[in-house]
Amino acid sequence: MNISFSERLIGMIAQGSNLVTKVTEQMSFWERISPPEDISTSGHLIHWLFAYTTYVNLFWFAILCVGLFGFSFLYASKRHKKAFYTHGNEKKHLMITAFIGLGVFLSVDMVITKISSRDMKEVFWNFPENDADVIKVQVLAQQWAWNFRHAGKDGEFNTGDDVVELNHLVVPVGKKVMIQMTSKDVIHSLYIPNIYIKADAIPGRYAKLWFDTTKTGKFEIACAEMCGNHHYLMKAQLTVLSQENYDRWINESQANAIATNDTENMDLRWGWKWGSR
Amino acid sequence: MAFVEQHIHDAPTSFWSKYLFSFDHKVIGKQFLWFGIFWLLMGGLMALLIRWTLAYPGVPFPIIGHLLFPHSDGVVPPDTYAMLFTMHGTIMIFFAITPILIGAFGNFCIPLLIGARDMIFPTLNMLSFWFSMASGVVLLASLALPLGAAAGGWTSYPTLSTNLGQPGAGQTMWLISLFLFGVSSTMGAVNYITTVITLRAPGMDYFKMPLTVWGLFLTSILNAIFVPVLGAGLLLLTFDRVFGTTFFLAGAAATSGKGDPVLFQHVFWIFGHPEVYILILPAWGITSDLLSFFSRKPAFGYKMTALSLTTITVLSTVVYGHHMYTTQMSPLLTQSFMTLTMLISIPSAIFFANWLGTLWKGSIRFTSPMLFSLGVVFVFGLGGLTGLYLASTSIDLYLHDTYFVVGHFHYTMAASVLLGGFAGIYFWMPKMFGRMMDERLAKIHFWCTMIPLNGIFTGMMVVGYAGMHRRLYNPFIYEFLQRLIPINIFITMSAIAMGLAQFIFLYNFFKTIFGKNIPAASSNPWEVGTLEWELPSPAPHYNFKEIPVVKSGPHEFGNPNLKGDRDFQYQTEELVKV
Amino acid sequence: MMTNNPGKELQNLKNQVGMTVALISFGMMFATLFLGYFLVRSNSSTWPPVEIANLPTLLPFLSTLVMALSSFTYFKLEKEVTYRKHFWFATMALGLAFLVLQWELWGALNASGILASNGHVPSMIYAFTWLHSAHIVMGLMTLMWLGHFIFRKPEAVTELKLMNVGKFWHFLGVVWLLMYLMLFVL
Repeated sequence: MNISFSERLIGMIAQGSNLVTKVTEQMSFWERISPPEDISTSGHLIHWLFAYTTYVNLFWFAILCVGLFGFSFLYASKRHKKAFYTHGNEKKHLMITAFIGLGVFLSVDMVITKISSRDMKEVFWNFPENDADVIKVQVLAQQWAWNFRHAGKDGEFNTGDDVVELNHLVVPVGKKVMIQMTSKDVIHSLYIPNIYIKADAIPGRYAKLWFDTTKTGKFEIACAEMCGNHHYLMKAQLTVLSQENYDRWINESQANAIATNDTENMDLRWGWKWGSR
Repeated sequence: MAFVEQHIHDAPTSFWSKYLFSFDHKVIGKQFLWFGIFWLLMGGLMALLIRWTLAYPGVPFPIIGHLLFPHSDGVVPPDTYAMLFTMHGTIMIFFAITPILIGAFGNFCIPLLIGARDMIFPTLNMLSFWFSMASGVVLLASLALPLGAAAGGWTSYPTLSTNLGQPGAGQTMWLISLFLFGVSSTMGAVNYITTVITLRAPGMDYFKMPLTVWGLFLTSILNAIFVPVLGAGLLLLTFDRVFGTTFFLAGAAATSGKGDPVLFQHVFWIFGHPEVYILILPAWGITSDLLSFFSRKPAFGYKMTALSLTTITVLSTVVYGHHMYTTQMSPLLTQSFMTLTMLISIPSAIFFANWLGTLWKGSIRFTSPMLFSLGVVFVFGLGGLTGLYLASTSIDLYLHDTYFVVGHFHYTMAASVLLGGFAGIYFWMPKMFGRMMDERLAKIHFWCTMIPLNGIFTGMMVVGYAGMHRRLYNPFIYEFLQRLIPINIFITMSAIAMGLAQFIFLYNFFKTIFGKNIPAASSNPWEVGTLEWELPSPAPHYNFKEIPVVKSGPHEFGNPNLKGDRDFQYQTEELVKV
Repeated sequence: MMTNNPGKELQNLKNQVGMTVALISFGMMFATLFLGYFLVRSNSSTWPPVEIANLPTLLPFLSTLVMALSSFTYFKLEKEVTYRKHFWFATMALGLAFLVLQWELWGALNASGILASNGHVPSMIYAFTWLHSAHIVMGLMTLMWLGHFIFRKPEAVTELKLMNVGKFWHFLGVVWLLMYLMLFVL
């Protein structure tokens, strides 16, 4: 104990700020706090709705602040000695409150309910489950890893040519990807920050999720639902390849899978029939 | 009129019957207050440990880190981290906010504000506190278990909370503790509801009750109806853990029989969403009253406010599904829950407008209770408006389980309830303990709480919008979150500042109660007109020697028809002779 | 000090309100269990599912009969002042008999291979009956409390006490009837 507490505290804070300078070089505040880059064709819908809600909220919040701070300033007891006696139950008062109530409802809630319903129906719930030209992936979540299964050449899941990857999802750019997902043990949630979607993987149920990509590269996949002590380590990688690279990858992996997959080992055959509920 | 005159018994004299096993609602209210403040400090310390880990993962917690975690060199270990956020949520909701807002103010204020001598079932009232105490002891004991306390999140979703994810006894003790707590809450609720229905003083109809009583009354109704729902869910989960039933077990672990983990989520949120309003309604009530008291004018649109609160209470029971969008319920169900949730903004906007209307053309006195009430208006405005993002299903796809949610519910549940609670404590302190708290310290406390508080929770929403998800031990193993390190540090620093600011309150609080040479408060230091201020401070044994007759509403400031030298009046001219 | 009649009426009123609110709370707990039952039932394709194909039928029927009889004897207990003690004994005995029958029921379920860990339908049968029996024990305790007054202080047996204990007891009867219908009949 030859260093004092304060010295140690300063050391810790310095350590913390070293970490900061190490990982984030020059980045403006706005860059820091903006959401991850959108690599999907559906992400802009969420962006748009978020922005709309923000603008209208700011309007109403500004009114609230004007009322709160303005009245606090104008009617402070030193400026305004005698309060005006009213119960606020005259017709005009009721009209004003009702107007504000309905105003908020019509300007924000109605609009976002409608748009959100439309987006869900037309895009997020519009699963391309049985489309011919869709990349089908089955996902098994477990403590604390993601298993991704591509069907392979025969198009059937749970066969010897399935490509199974641990913590690594590979998809071609521009194609729709359809995911069916379940969990082995506890509830997990597949969260792809760059695509702005997530869905819970629940044991005993099959969750559905679809997305497409507009950009090649390496991105992150996370688990968003608390799933145990090592929840934070449940990270996977999303690799978006160009079509040629993807074809090359899937062919190689398939050959590899056929050569190495042990069809007798039931533990490896966790896949299920496509579309079962 | 349903009015019951209560008998006056002699005041208890021994220490046991006076301070421990007391039947007096005022003593029980104070017991709840101490209980709540103890747990508030525990929960607050846990919050700081969590925040420290999020900003400086792997760095020892300053000063007391080595004492708390000797085996990991002062660093919070991952399993302890999971336990900490589970306990933080549980403690803050069930053992801090509920005892302070509902236990303390409910017990203390309801009889005084409606002109009754005590609660209608004093024994039940005492039992309610001791059940709370028992549940607190069980929870505290679970922290000392070798495998640690429950660590499955305060929502305790199965299958993580079954033996599969939580093998230790901690989760079972958590369930038992919450069940006991539920029993206590239900007892309290039965008592409050019956008291309000039967013990209102002659002349006090429902629309003459102070809005505080309205808030507490509606809260109690929700408690009586929905806490048993949680109780049933907790029992079923306990059976799963102890007797091997399989209600919630599924997947590979369900070898002999299958259940459905989502069933628990339904049961939990049928209770859980009303619970949010259970916590906030008393704070709304207190705020509505205090805004009127210190603007020196009647509550604007009193009836509309009361009806809005009632509407919200009713709506709150049918919107719980918005917590479960990502479990992929049927589209029809999801859309219905979204639409119903959006409807809540109408009554909310109405009582917000009424709050502002109360300030309009008032003669505002910026006392400490008033500052805290204005604070509630500000933070609940932010909290309410950010709820709109989460209510819409498509934005929720992105924001679900991120820090945006954490920021939102802390604004609504933590920030506004905390500020409302402080407002209440500062306001009723003279009536509770017979002394005024130091106004200057109280105002310093307000600003030192308010500014960091917004730093914390706005910061949380910012990192949430940037994509940071919840309950991570070390968020920065994700590359896309590393840019958020400075903001997380800012949030943590704000949290520490807010934590330190609470020492101002504690100093003020203890000094007022136990300090020497503190002058006694007058009977009506705030110059307001509700019934309790007609009594000497502190309120005497059995409150009202003679039951008052109520002539007007609680906020008749400046009513030209009222005579007398004070500009408020809430009756006292005529008293019933018994 | 008010001891006159209007005060008493009001006293009745207040305790009625309290008991009613309490019963709403109890009712919500059981309602949650029933909600779970309906969710499970609406999700399963066949009913009854295979694991509960050979449920005992006689024992639950007897339980229902006993429960109904005890409600009837309690009703008589309230009405017949002269035979109050007899009917108190009858109600107590029937309540205890109900518990014995439940015990037998669990034994019979076990014997026919239906265990609590066999999936959520058997889980439900056990959990529902466990919880209901726990409440019956509570009900018997309130009956004992009432018995104390009937035997020791007959003058203190107010209409209110009779009514509140009765409300709780009949409530448990109704809950059992619903459980019987859901689990063993329909």
